[in-house]
Amino acid sequence: MSPQSSLTVLKLTGELDIAQREAVQAALQLDAGGGPVLIDLSEVSYADSTVISQLLRFRNEAEARGRKIALLIGSPQFRRLLQYAGLGDAFAVFDDRGRALTFLAGGPA
Amino acid sequence: MTRGSELRVLCTATVQAPRPLRGALAAFLRALEVEQIVSEDILVAVGEALANSVEHAYPGEPGTVELHALAEDEATLQVDVRDRGVFTERARHPDRGLGLQIVRAIAREVRIERNGGTRISMTFDAR
Repeated sequence: MSPQSSLTVLKLTGELDIAQREAVQAALQLDAGGGPVLIDLSEVSYADSTVISQLLRFRNEAEARGRKIALLIGSPQFRRLLQYAGLGDAFAVFDDRGRALTFLAGGPA
Repeated sequence: MTRGSELRVLCTATVQAPRPLRGALAAFLRALEVEQIVSEDILVAVGEALANSVEHAYPGEPGTVELHALAEDEATLQVDVRDRGVFTERARHPDRGLGLQIVRAIAREVRIERNGGTRISMTFDAR
């Protein structure tokens, strides 16, 4: 990766529900860089559609700027949540950080 | 699950309400020895219903939200989320469509009644 495409890591933790909507929205803002983005959800103990909506918005913004994103999850529950929402294929989801980074290093979106 | 076991919690409908209500339901499901993966899914579905209810709440004039869970038999859990209070027609947040889709994907049956508030009744397989 060139210096212009350095990795951005956004980490969210805890119980992310409707009470955290503004905080999640504030955390999921695209920076000015041009590199890939790893969204680390490995320490999220609860997430609902509030988070999924914000992730969709973020993904659309990132893709519009040619930036790849990957989600790192800590429990299978988040993957099931995406499936229930009909979004099983909407994100690149990994439960292993190394594999997520390998995916993100593999060229432009 | 022990048939007839029941949980009923009423609280002020603010955006802070779903978290402790989910906590109460989680403890109830643990006491009923519901399998963890099933319990997690039920908590997500009920969490979405609770989020839907508290979206009605206004600062300064919040209504109430009630959670009622009943173990109908060894394998069936009935959960009702009901809100009352001050209601004004307003656009629902777009997240809520997604939330109700998640509820429908997890629950075996979902009924939504609007009559002086909203009541979301969910039936879960909780073997």
